[in-house]
Amino acid sequence: MMRGALFSLFRRKTKPPFCFSAPLFFFTTSTSKLNIFDRQLKRNQRDRAAWLMPQTDPLLHTVAHNLLDRLQDCKKTFPSALCLGGSLQAVTRSIRGHGGIEKLIVMDASHDMVQRCKNDYHASNNENIETTFVVGDEEFLPIKESSVDLVISCLGLHWTNDLPGAMIQSMLALKPDGLFLAAILGGETLKELRIACTIAQMEREGGISPRISPLAQVRDAGNLLTRAGFNLPGVDVDEYTVKYPSALELIEHLRAMGETNALSQMNAMLKRDTALATAAIYDSMFASEDGTVPATFQVIYMTGWKEHSSQQKPKRRGSATVSFKDIQKQFGNQS
Amino acid sequence: MVRVSKELMQKAATLVSDFLVCPLSKQPLRYCQESNSLISDAIAVSFPIKNGIPCLVPRDGKILNEEDASKPDNDTNL
Repeated sequence: MMRGALFSLFRRKTKPPFCFSAPLFFFTTSTSKLNIFDRQLKRNQRDRAAWLMPQTDPLLHTVAHNLLDRLQDCKKTFPSALCLGGSLQAVTRSIRGHGGIEKLIVMDASHDMVQRCKNDYHASNNENIETTFVVGDEEFLPIKESSVDLVISCLGLHWTNDLPGAMIQSMLALKPDGLFLAAILGGETLKELRIACTIAQMEREGGISPRISPLAQVRDAGNLLTRAGFNLPGVDVDEYTVKYPSALELIEHLRAMGETNALSQMNAMLKRDTALATAAIYDSMFASEDGTVPATFQVIYMTGWKEHSSQQKPKRRGSATVSFKDIQKQFGNQS
Repeated sequence: MVRVSKELMQKAATLVSDFLVCPLSKQPLRYCQESNSLISDAIAVSFPIKNGIPCLVPRDGKILNEEDASKPDNDTNL
């Protein structure tokens, strides 16, 4: 069984194993009739994650912390904030003392997840932020127009079928000069698993089916922000490498985060044989010297502001009063 | 049935009037004390409140019969 796996590895060593170029439908269709993700399945998975998730997940905690850190850089305070899906608990726990938040709305598509956050909130006696809990879908945001100062979405938006639509709705929910902060998983995420899955499936089943969802690329993130109508867009990327004892622990972790596959066209059957072959290939291709297997998580952080007259903007074309030639005359000789 | 305290009810009412709208039509919601649900009059759909948490996912909504939707007089208008 293993020989087959290794054979294909050596054969493929000369060129990069497989280029996964799943088309990013959600960037090309404006009226999305096409559903890539099964949102109901995702909801169920997040229900399950609410029970499996440990109190502190280092990855989620780091991302949430990094995201909230951006609030420290703003002089503005955000009295009312909306916190969307993904790693809710990590955000709600560490949001205290950031950005002068007085009212917080916590929203997720999974009732159990919201319930868990609510229990957590009541246990922590965190009375200085007035928190309310809502079950809602990012694709159908139930928030009034121009009502919140801040929208935070930590690792949730990459599961939406219509990402631009979801971002436009967040933009509409913001007050003028409101801030949109989001972290999504980028295309480099789980590249090792993608490769291992593909090879194992080709070998055992003679074909491939998408096992890992298509994700946004970094270059798309900026376009998304401008397309949704945000001003002063900012995008930056962080890569985290998490080490696991084996690929099986990686899958357990994904399950506990609610980040398992939810493609609506996925092949619901995963043969035990293929799964084990994937783990074996993962181990033989990527294992490091200490015996652990690394997994890459690429997180794209997006920041955008809703339009307001106080924001800086470029001057009108042709409105300059000084010629660049004169500037060069003035300063050109010095350098 | 879950009994909800008056204070919590008040809180839900201000939440609804300040922030929440119907996820589909983006029109205001109305709190119905009798059925403990939020009703969107624009599309005649009611969204349940489970354990004090309003569930505003379109799939959770229930389409109301026309008779129910046409008599909003008994409920608190928000």
